[in-house]
Amino acid sequence: MEGIDSVALRIFVYDDIIAAGRPPSVAAIAMRFGTSPAIAREALANLKIGKTILVDPRSGEIWMAGPFAAAETPYRVVGEKREWWANCAWDMFGVAMIVNERVRVETRCTDCGAPMTILSDPSTAPTEDAVVHFLVPARRWYDDIGFT
Amino acid sequence: MSIFRSEDHVLRWTRANGHEIGALVPLAQVWRLAKAWYADPRRRDWRARNRDESQAVIASVGLTGAFWELPR
Repeated sequence: MEGIDSVALRIFVYDDIIAAGRPPSVAAIAMRFGTSPAIAREALANLKIGKTILVDPRSGEIWMAGPFAAAETPYRVVGEKREWWANCAWDMFGVAMIVNERVRVETRCTDCGAPMTILSDPSTAPTEDAVVHFLVPARRWYDDIGFT
Repeated sequence: MSIFRSEDHVLRWTRANGHEIGALVPLAQVWRLAKAWYADPRRRDWRARNRDESQAVIASVGLTGAFWELPR
């Protein structure tokens, strides 16, 4: 069986996550590229695109495809027809940039849990009065990306 | 990178959880950072930035100083 072209794989992963709200499974990737789950898993693990697509070391399934998260997070990004989960308060805007549409982020204050709604548009900065706390300095961002 | 209603809430949360304060960034500045940082990965010519390119993006939105230094 042939390997999977890394560019085609990256584009498929993001096309799918943007259309479906969740990243494709290893099985779906294997089916799309006419290969085995083992080869699909290996292709995902070998995607040399920085820290952008990370896989769960146990299952081999996509864990995050920055700025999108594979599972529910405190940052729900609601678009015109779809919704996605962002990894953090930085990535909630990243989702708006990539899907290139006006979105509504439904989140909560990390301290008190009060619901917050942030309107985000790729061409207009948000006006809501809120602050983002970067807990970890940049030199340690990639030590533990989940914690960061 | 977590969202808070205000700086007071950050102070309360860091105290309660035993964390030092990192950096507080207004929402609009984080939006500018995301706009500069995220290119569409569906483009065929998309590529990962190297360290210095990423550092330049961070600095381009006014985030400079030791806290914002990526590892070398």
